[in-house]
Amino acid sequence: MSDATWKPGACSIVGIGATDFSKASGRSPLTLAAQASRAALADAGIDPRQVDGIVRCDMDLVSAPALADSLGVADLTYWGEAGPGGSGPAAMVGQAVAAVQAGLATTVVVFRSLNGRSGNRYGLVGERGATGGDGSYEEFFLPYGMQTAGQFFAVAARRYAHEHGLSIDGLAHGLGSIALASRAHANRNPDAQFFQRTMTRDDYLASRMLADPLRLFDFCLESDGAAAVVVTTTERARDLAGSAVPILSVAQGTGHGVQPGQMFPALLRPSITSWPSAAAAPTLFGRAGISAGDVDVAQVYDCFTITVLIQLEDYGFVAPGQAAHLAESDLSVGGLLPLNTSGGHLSEAYIHGMNHVLEGVRQVRGTSTNQVEGAEISFVTSAPPPGASALVLGADR
Amino acid sequence: MTDPQAAPLLPVTDDVDTGEFFAAAARGELAIRVCGECRVDLHLPRENCPRCGAFTREWRTVGPTGTLYSWTVVEHQVHPAYPVPYTVVLVELDDAKDVRLLGRIDGRPALEIGQPMQAWFEQIGDVTLPQWRPTSSQEENA
Repeated sequence: MSDATWKPGACSIVGIGATDFSKASGRSPLTLAAQASRAALADAGIDPRQVDGIVRCDMDLVSAPALADSLGVADLTYWGEAGPGGSGPAAMVGQAVAAVQAGLATTVVVFRSLNGRSGNRYGLVGERGATGGDGSYEEFFLPYGMQTAGQFFAVAARRYAHEHGLSIDGLAHGLGSIALASRAHANRNPDAQFFQRTMTRDDYLASRMLADPLRLFDFCLESDGAAAVVVTTTERARDLAGSAVPILSVAQGTGHGVQPGQMFPALLRPSITSWPSAAAAPTLFGRAGISAGDVDVAQVYDCFTITVLIQLEDYGFVAPGQAAHLAESDLSVGGLLPLNTSGGHLSEAYIHGMNHVLEGVRQVRGTSTNQVEGAEISFVTSAPPPGASALVLGADR
Repeated sequence: MTDPQAAPLLPVTDDVDTGEFFAAAARGELAIRVCGECRVDLHLPRENCPRCGAFTREWRTVGPTGTLYSWTVVEHQVHPAYPVPYTVVLVELDDAKDVRLLGRIDGRPALEIGQPMQAWFEQIGDVTLPQWRPTSSQEENA
């Protein structure tokens, strides 16, 4: 699916920045957002006052004008938001590209900030008298004890094993390989929450079951922190002090059988073992003019291990049902598909997909702590269930 | 951390889109919203039909049987009124193949995807929740 109006590499990510990742930041989400944004702007060599665009996630507690105030922005000419939570970051970068290409802004900060551990934790259900209504459809889920993302993905994981003829032990082997690859990479990333905390396959299998068939180490790390990137034209990027990473492609998709509501209604989609990422895939690769086989390094949204298996299939890295058979060696820096090289959500931090964008940039810059030698095509996803988005970043050579 | 005093989460029963589902349950029936024009089943129930665009809709009563689509055994306590372990089942309706409903079963029942399931109606205060359990085996019925 080629797209004549998309211009690969017209815009670049020129700066990246993040806060520390922790279980208790002790700071407001606005402070975290400002710290990450200022770090990204410093990386780009751009005065924060020159920012004229901000894109946020629609679940973020920080508004664009509040961040603009914090950055000392002179005149904010564009702000927008794209997608809830984890499906947002790549789409948010895409919205920054759209704004720059349309002439609505020249210098756009894209950020995600949250106290995901010390603040309001997703899934902790309040004791209201009645739940649901107003298009939330929670009344069909919460009263039945379906109350967290982990429970939702556990239902999908069991169905995945069934549809692909995998035993639950076979599924666990595949899920464990994802968890182990992420942990091994985090062990060499000083910014990761699981830096130097090693894990064996026996450790993985011995971890307690939270929502069968998903174990503790199938779950990501609820985290406090923020991450940000700066987007401008590639032409202008050449005059900046920082290192530019051209955005070769960006795509969003929802696919067949969209359901209303937030996450849980996705259990009513025609398939729960293929996600909106399948719809985004041909658009993404078509715009970049590449295929999955050209990808040198992949940052795949991993709120749970099962989401990685399903996306690797949806994006065409392996045939449906085959992701669980990927050997763990294939996912390391020297392997066939270096995966989640910062440690990802499972072992670095859960910044709702934005930390994956940063690591995707580092890989083509050659600055990752788990650097893939000569990486030129860097793939980043932001994920389901409500919708998906993804990026292809290229080396500026 | 199970709190026997904690109230279970109850559904709103007066929502414009979904209220009739729970009203039907109170009568001991499973009801699914159907498009008044093209007759497609609309679940989750909404006011207009995504297929034909109509804003006319009705409800139809469906049989209380289904097949098990998938499930999870919840082992980690989240809400105080839902003691673990419990099992959340996702059931595909025999009379409405595009419709799946949830049910909750105490403990860790032996289950198999594709097995027949039977609806029953749980009374919690003023609210009736359609629930699901495995259909009794032939041996038990004999």
